[in-house]
Amino acid sequence: MAELGNFSPEERVAQEERLRRVWKTPGGWRYWTSVNNSEIGLWYGVTAFAFMLFAGLLGLLMRAQLAVPNNDLISADLFNQAFTLHGTVMMFLFAVPIFEAIAIFLLPSMLGARELPFPRLSAFGYWSFLLGGIFVCGSIFFNAAPNAGWFMYPPLATDKEYAGIGADIWLLGLSFIEVASIAAAVEIIVGIMKCRAPGMRINMMPMFAWYLLIVAGMILFAFPPLIAGDILFEMERMFDWPFFDVSRGGDPLLWQHLFWIFGHPEVYIIFLPAIALMAMIVPTFSQRPIVGYSWIVLAAVGTGFLSFGLWVHHMFTTGLPQISLAFFSAASEAVAIPTGVQIFVFIATMLAGRVIFSVPMLFGAGGLAIFTIGGLTGVMVALVPFDWQAHDTYFIVAHLHYVIIGGMFFPIVAGIYYYFPFVTGKKLSDAWGKVAFWLMFVGFNVGFFPMHFSGLRGMPRRVFTYPEEFGWDLFNMISTIGAFVFAAGVMTFVIDIFRPKPKPVERNLNPWNAGTLEWTNDPDESWGMRSVPIITSRYPLWEQPNLQADIEAGRYYLPDAKSGQRETLVTSVLDAEPIQCLRVGGVSLVPMVSALALGGVFIALTFHWWIPTLICAVITFISIMVWLWTGTAQIPEAEEVDVGLGQKLPVYVSGPASVGWWAMFITMVGDGTAFASLIFGYFFYWTVHDDFTSGAAGPGVIWPIAALVLFVVAWLLTIAARELNEKGPAGCRIALVAGMLVTIAACLAGLAGPFFHGMDPTSNVYPATVWIIAIWTVVHGAVGVIMQAYCLVGSLTGRVTVAYDQDIRNVTLYWHFVAFTAVITFAVLGLFPMVNV
Amino acid sequence: MKSVIPREVESLWTLFTAPTIWAVHFIGCYATVAIYCAKAASLDFGFDTVRLLLAGFTVFALAVIVLSAWLAWRQWGFGVHDPPHDEPTRKGRTLFQGYATLLLSGLSFVAVVYAAIPLILIAECQR
Amino acid sequence: MTDGWVAGLLQSRRSQRHLSRLCPGFIALLVLPLTSCSGTHSALDPAGPEAANVAQLFFVMLAGGVVIWVGLVAALIYSARKKREHSEESAGRVILWGGAVIPTIILCALLSYGMWLMPAIRPWVPDDQQVRRIEVTGEQFWWRVRYLDEAGETMFETANEVRIPVGEPAHFSLKAADVIHSFWVPSLGGKMDMIPGRTNPLTLTADREGTYRGVCAEFCGESHALMAFTVRAVAPDEHEAWLAERRVSGSQDAEGLAIFLNNGCGACHAISGTPANGRIGPDLTAFGERTTLAAATLRHTAEDIARFVAYPGVIKPGVKMPHFGMLPEDDIKTIAAFLKELK
Repeated sequence: MAELGNFSPEERVAQEERLRRVWKTPGGWRYWTSVNNSEIGLWYGVTAFAFMLFAGLLGLLMRAQLAVPNNDLISADLFNQAFTLHGTVMMFLFAVPIFEAIAIFLLPSMLGARELPFPRLSAFGYWSFLLGGIFVCGSIFFNAAPNAGWFMYPPLATDKEYAGIGADIWLLGLSFIEVASIAAAVEIIVGIMKCRAPGMRINMMPMFAWYLLIVAGMILFAFPPLIAGDILFEMERMFDWPFFDVSRGGDPLLWQHLFWIFGHPEVYIIFLPAIALMAMIVPTFSQRPIVGYSWIVLAAVGTGFLSFGLWVHHMFTTGLPQISLAFFSAASEAVAIPTGVQIFVFIATMLAGRVIFSVPMLFGAGGLAIFTIGGLTGVMVALVPFDWQAHDTYFIVAHLHYVIIGGMFFPIVAGIYYYFPFVTGKKLSDAWGKVAFWLMFVGFNVGFFPMHFSGLRGMPRRVFTYPEEFGWDLFNMISTIGAFVFAAGVMTFVIDIFRPKPKPVERNLNPWNAGTLEWTNDPDESWGMRSVPIITSRYPLWEQPNLQADIEAGRYYLPDAKSGQRETLVTSVLDAEPIQCLRVGGVSLVPMVSALALGGVFIALTFHWWIPTLICAVITFISIMVWLWTGTAQIPEAEEVDVGLGQKLPVYVSGPASVGWWAMFITMVGDGTAFASLIFGYFFYWTVHDDFTSGAAGPGVIWPIAALVLFVVAWLLTIAARELNEKGPAGCRIALVAGMLVTIAACLAGLAGPFFHGMDPTSNVYPATVWIIAIWTVVHGAVGVIMQAYCLVGSLTGRVTVAYDQDIRNVTLYWHFVAFTAVITFAVLGLFPMVNV
Repeated sequence: MKSVIPREVESLWTLFTAPTIWAVHFIGCYATVAIYCAKAASLDFGFDTVRLLLAGFTVFALAVIVLSAWLAWRQWGFGVHDPPHDEPTRKGRTLFQGYATLLLSGLSFVAVVYAAIPLILIAECQR
Repeated sequence: MTDGWVAGLLQSRRSQRHLSRLCPGFIALLVLPLTSCSGTHSALDPAGPEAANVAQLFFVMLAGGVVIWVGLVAALIYSARKKREHSEESAGRVILWGGAVIPTIILCALLSYGMWLMPAIRPWVPDDQQVRRIEVTGEQFWWRVRYLDEAGETMFETANEVRIPVGEPAHFSLKAADVIHSFWVPSLGGKMDMIPGRTNPLTLTADREGTYRGVCAEFCGESHALMAFTVRAVAPDEHEAWLAERRVSGSQDAEGLAIFLNNGCGACHAISGTPANGRIGPDLTAFGERTTLAAATLRHTAEDIARFVAYPGVIKPGVKMPHFGMLPEDDIKTIAAFLKELK
């Protein structure tokens, strides 16, 4: 191992001065242009929590309405808006974003990085989330909230008379937020794979990182199907393309498939990070390393996979063949195994340790007790015959709240009690915490346990009122009382957070005596790690003597910021050997501007304001171009820089070694999933109809095959540009220009098939499906042209050179996916109608 | 076999082999019955043929999972080393990968067996 | 099976007290299914083989669940409070056995039980099998009921109330006219969705006479909460007699019918044997023998009928029927009285 650095006190002060200047959070209004992970994480968390409180109030409103039978406290329509928004906000604006918040806040410190690799992307995600969230929540104050339930089943939700602007707000507002979630997933995956401290091999990673890696991967496969569904849905609402209209060959069940392919993994996407917090808390309060590290990896990976085989268990009553239902029932039971393993890992760790019982543990254990009930009822409803009775009743309402509040909300509160000193340097109160816990625990059970009974006694969910003669009134009254007690507990917790607290007399960065790396960080400094340490243990603070002092003395990597730019280390995936000194983006207005402009596109679309849509789209495009041009792939002042410990590392790398290449790869995997969902739709319509073309003309064979060939040629030209660039700019430029021309021809050929065959997308679902898949591919081609042009301009201005070819390598990677998409698209559109019997 | 597949695979992806096989098996079974039941009228073989076909597919999937488990077991040194595998060495890391892959193979095996139960108990495309 | 405190709690004697207060002579209800009462409505008070099987499955799982939960919480408390630390090896064994092996075995058994039950309680009735079917179509916010003969031809239409023979499987064909609904009679069995463009089959059997309430279980719009119906299970010969009687059109009282027709009610509602032949709203033929009103939302009394005719949208927000409150009160009362007695 390299010799640790040794600096005199004067040198250290000077280093700290430079670091502080580089990582400084701006003051005044410019505070909001900050991109530092600790600011973004905090804003994200506070905003998500505020949305949770709002949705909680809607929940209380519903409970008040249901307290007595035949109540007329609020109207049916307001009730329907309230429960739709309650579910939507809790899932999309609280559960997913709060985990993104925690991940953005904690991950760099846990991994020993200064920053995540794309801080401006985090900021972009936050502003998207804030704007989209306000747009969706605000709608209820104009009596325009979505009112068709949070899973928005057509044809109710496509009925313009019933579901007015609210449905568009739901679709566009949430699509916007989903884009932000995918951005966060890219950030988290690349961060965990590439930005760990040296020596933090994959068998050393904190449990939280393992879970988050899996969860971010799940987002990549879960959210795109919903985005694809949203596109189909909005095309139907805006342009009358009949994807879900049975009178023109559509089928409402396609939406249910796409929604739940997203919707069930979503449950685990919000559950796993909460369990990840528990996996940090339990070892700390057992004062020993976790027992069964590999078992946790099994549980996280296993749950991640199995959760994609559950979606039809939300559709057990739709009349699908029993054999299909049975496969999903089997997977739904199987997923209980890794979930059980997780719980037993915690029990085993406590068994083998000395348990200190504190408020975080109280919330954690209480949450587990609640979650287990939800898990057991989950095992029940996963059995098809029982679900035929329980589906869509209050039994399900009870089940899902036991799962989510026990499995996600209680652990999050535990996590907030645990990490509060990490954020602010002060502890929350034990006394308040205990009061909050017991109010929440008792209130929750009083509120939600009776719902099991009212459900089995026949009370369907989503009813704004109920008759009195079936004995539901007593159960509902108890539920309402419990809900208010629970709310009192949440309020106690909120007051505890916001009440003024004295600064602790003694500086203690690690008040719980935890073993993981994040507790070396000083909350008063915005640089994160003072120097990036070498890790040789899963619990470095317990097992690496003098670590804290050495980090603070700047004896490890990157103790200085001589370049005046924000720097963090990039290491190899498996063994975390240092390979690059990565410069990350600093304070900037660009992420906010592009997020707000993109938000403007979605909002203007909702109201069919075409001109503002166009203006916002142009602003979005320009700001993203400015962002890319000024903030990525900058040519450094020197090939290599000194990172400390006598080591020099390159600043600029390209191809698979660079974080940008990974980000492109991961984004395109998500993009490919959305495309696969559209193709699934094509074949879905084939299975539900005897003749899926319903006699309508297809796009023919000639044009699709021409488009296919042209796209492949364009792809080969892009690869040629990359190869030629290694010999000099001239050949590269010619290949790029040729590539652009061929791509444009390919796009036109792609659209020519459906166009010249007179396919009217409003006449039947078949032409609509052909058009949407062709348009999807052509849009990707158009983006490909922009990328080729960007590289061309880069080459002409000396930004892309023989040595500095990051841009063109990433564009080629994008083109691999475009070629794949185009081949599938045009082969299916052109050839499948011929083999269809 | 030994010479074909190196003892220590330098990739994170081996971890996902067994669950991927589960996924392929699962999607294969679901897609087959969904298409068969939707198009049964125009097909000239019975549901029992489909069940037999999928039973064969299940045996194949289980065999591949067993193979992946054996490779993982070998990488784990056939269980000579006990967990937790937290040594800061390349060896420690590969042992961890082997052990975790072995556990995941076990889970995937069980999940594939679960998915085969309907093939035994449900004999028609009934709704 | 349903004895003991659990069943006592779940079946809530309280509600039975309610029922007996509503219907003087609760025992008489079982003998005289025609008394006006909303009937039983609980998955845990089964009146047919499907519901009974599922209730039994539930009680088995409940017992198992309680044992597992208590064991788990006890383990949690023990591990937090124990005096000395256990070795890492023994803790590892806890994960292996408690977390992996035992759950795998239990879940495998449970899964097999559930899957064996599926075809057993919902056996295969091929679409082309010649059986009499009852076609129920979900509409916002009521149920169109058509009795079909073996050939699939409509014998007659009614609404919001289904009659089935006791002890014989009733074959339903479930459809939807506008949005997705779900057909659920908890006392007889599980639910089945009604999806536009699809026809979903469902077979239910009642094994004792009685009135069973059903509801729409899939959110279907503003008044989803007010979309219920009743199933009356009667002796098979009585059922046959009723089918025969309903196939013949009757003749009707002149005065009430005239007001009914003059105000255009017949444009949406049909009454067999009269010029009223509208197909938009519920068929009102033999309305007098029904036990509830407005998809089991109101009682079947002249006052409630009058109330509903005057302001349907107040009682059921979002309903398609217009208000008739502008009619003279006497006309409304006459219409109500006419409908109340319609045989």
